[in-house]
Amino acid sequence: MSSDAAKNPSVEVRNITKRFGEFVAVEDLSFQVSPGRIFGFLGPNGAGKTTTIRMMVGITAPDSGEIRLFGELLSPKLQDRIGYIPEERGLYKKLKVVDQLRYFGALKGLSTAEAEKRIDFWLGRMGLADWKRAKTSDLSKGMQQKIQFIAAVLHDPDLLILDEPFSGLDPINVEFMIDVLAEFRTQSRAIIFSTHLMETAERLCDDILLINRSRKVIAGSLREVKSSYGTNRVAFRGRPADGILKMSPLVAKVVSFADEMEIHLNEGADPNVLLRDLVNGGAEIQKFEVIEPSLNDIFIAAVGGIDDDPSRAGR
Amino acid sequence: MRKFFAVVKHEYRKVVLRWSFILGTLLMPAMALVFAFVPLLIFSFRGEPAKIAVYDPDGKIAARLEAYFAHKPANKLDHPNAGRAIPMVSGQQISTPPAVIESDFTLVRFTTATAEPEAVRQELLTRIRAKEFDAYLIIPQNPTAPDACFEFRSRRGGDFTLSDVLLNGLNQAVQSQRLADARIDESELRQLTAPVRFDAKGLDESGAEKDSGGVFAASFLIALMIYLMLAIYGQTILGAVVEEKETRIAEILFSSTRPLVLMFGKLVGVGLAGLTQLSIWVGSALSLVAIAAQQADFRPLLKSVPTITPAMVLLFLSFFLLGYFLYGSIFALIGSAVTSPQEGGQLSFPPTVLMLIGFYFSFAVIRDPNSSLAFWASIAPFFAPITMPVRILAETPPFWQIALSIVVNLLAILAMVWIAARIYRVGMLIYGKRATIREIWKWLRHS
Repeated sequence: MSSDAAKNPSVEVRNITKRFGEFVAVEDLSFQVSPGRIFGFLGPNGAGKTTTIRMMVGITAPDSGEIRLFGELLSPKLQDRIGYIPEERGLYKKLKVVDQLRYFGALKGLSTAEAEKRIDFWLGRMGLADWKRAKTSDLSKGMQQKIQFIAAVLHDPDLLILDEPFSGLDPINVEFMIDVLAEFRTQSRAIIFSTHLMETAERLCDDILLINRSRKVIAGSLREVKSSYGTNRVAFRGRPADGILKMSPLVAKVVSFADEMEIHLNEGADPNVLLRDLVNGGAEIQKFEVIEPSLNDIFIAAVGGIDDDPSRAGR
Repeated sequence: MRKFFAVVKHEYRKVVLRWSFILGTLLMPAMALVFAFVPLLIFSFRGEPAKIAVYDPDGKIAARLEAYFAHKPANKLDHPNAGRAIPMVSGQQISTPPAVIESDFTLVRFTTATAEPEAVRQELLTRIRAKEFDAYLIIPQNPTAPDACFEFRSRRGGDFTLSDVLLNGLNQAVQSQRLADARIDESELRQLTAPVRFDAKGLDESGAEKDSGGVFAASFLIALMIYLMLAIYGQTILGAVVEEKETRIAEILFSSTRPLVLMFGKLVGVGLAGLTQLSIWVGSALSLVAIAAQQADFRPLLKSVPTITPAMVLLFLSFFLLGYFLYGSIFALIGSAVTSPQEGGQLSFPPTVLMLIGFYFSFAVIRDPNSSLAFWASIAPFFAPITMPVRILAETPPFWQIALSIVVNLLAILAMVWIAARIYRVGMLIYGKRATIREIWKWLRHS
């Protein structure tokens, strides 16, 4: 990775639109993916994620707009720098693991000798060295997932696109894969990561893009997105002084749970002011924590909001 | 280009390393051997010769019958028993030297004290029941009379050749007896009535003689072989395409290289596997013929094998390849439009029928290689790959016709590959349901 690659975006998508007959799958979508960052590509089923990914890896072309990888317009030559794990996994069932990987490596322009070295390296790292000559169909589903992953990274791609990479993996292997992805991030590769699992996305992603119904809904760094969604809730445990919460003009609603309560603040209210009021009012405070919205909340608010509240659609 | 060869290598290995390929390649020559030699072997096993008791009160016909079978030249070659000492049947009724051995039977002269026909018959039946004889032949009192009736009864009722051979012998024996009675010299008559020799052979373009039976068999074999190869390797392509679509491998492949490279690489790889198999078969067939040529016994057989020049072999392989790419691209197209091997099987009916029609046309070509039907069938795309090799073998057409056929079929391949590639690259990414004809038409126009 050269130093200017760190400045320039790995992926630059400008105003792409893709139609299938009458149906608009992706409409006027623009975004950028930076090297050294994990980019969460989120959205409900049918939002246009797979169509967008297919355009980014060169399987299909957009009807209008352009896609640049590493500063160049997407071309077959650039495909060799992409590693791709599609949502629907596919391996040749009857082929030996090693033959499978050799073929996928060759299709990415890898020389035989180099492929051989890397196959051994990755199989060793994944703990599958003993399975090198096994028939693929004899492997467990989780093992096949790992083979699929090796096939995607064997040629040392600068851009890795993963569609639901953790489905079918047990928690130990998920942690293992996350480590590998973190390592890729430090090597200044760009990682696009599409998922339904908001917890995973929240943990892994530096940037997110949420699309719904073929359009962009939310984009930005995870931090920005979260703060733009406001911090108007407070988790509180303790004995509030009588009436303070009820009387305060800052509080919209109080929801009580078994052990603590959640205080919903009014628009623009400062939680610090409430904290001061509580302290001054003589409340016994065990916990007072400003709650950030989870990605899950944001997802539901943004996607669900479009359905029942048209005013939020512009967010 | 490197990726193209990677695809070719992958597809080639996938087919060639399959058990069915290895078995098929080795078994086909073995099966051909079995078909060629097992019948010979089976027919060489003969049962115990049937023992036929001949009752001839007069003795004349029996003597002639024995003489007839003893001198029949074929006996010497076919039957090791010929001329062997006659087994004596114990008992006073057996005269010497009574028996003559034919292929499947031994004639044993039977005499008995009584001349009463019914008593003779009863005695013969008793002996047959005792398994002393297998059959009996009663020669009537006046065998040369026009209404004389010869009575033959056998425990081996199903052995038609036996009674046929016996009938022939009897006819000859009675005839020569009649001639003798009429004082006509038999050998002179034989000479006068000897059948003419009829030498019938086909001629090829240059006027050289050839054996039409051999040409027919070889033409049929070539047509069948090409038809089978096209069907087998068409199905192989169909299976490979459906597998990549069904398992969604296509998605990874398409993100690595262009669909046309993939489709064409697949066609070439599987085609090379087919060519490998065909070469092994043709090679083993040629060496079999060569080995057989060393064997004196086989030489008359081989005379009917038509001469096949290296140029002809090259043309056969070329036409196989033309047909293979033509049908292969159709099967690739079908594979990309269906969702399972079963659906693929149903949709492969039309191209299979097309091949079958080509195969049937080859019969018309064998019968009359110069008819206008043969001409058109060997030029037309889809049929020519099967019919033209047959025509070349039966009666090599002028070179321009072969060239025209190759050009026409090359153009058809270009068109077919172009159509298939457009459908392939859309169809491979559409999951869930089988494409309708209308959808396929849409892909073709818009992709």
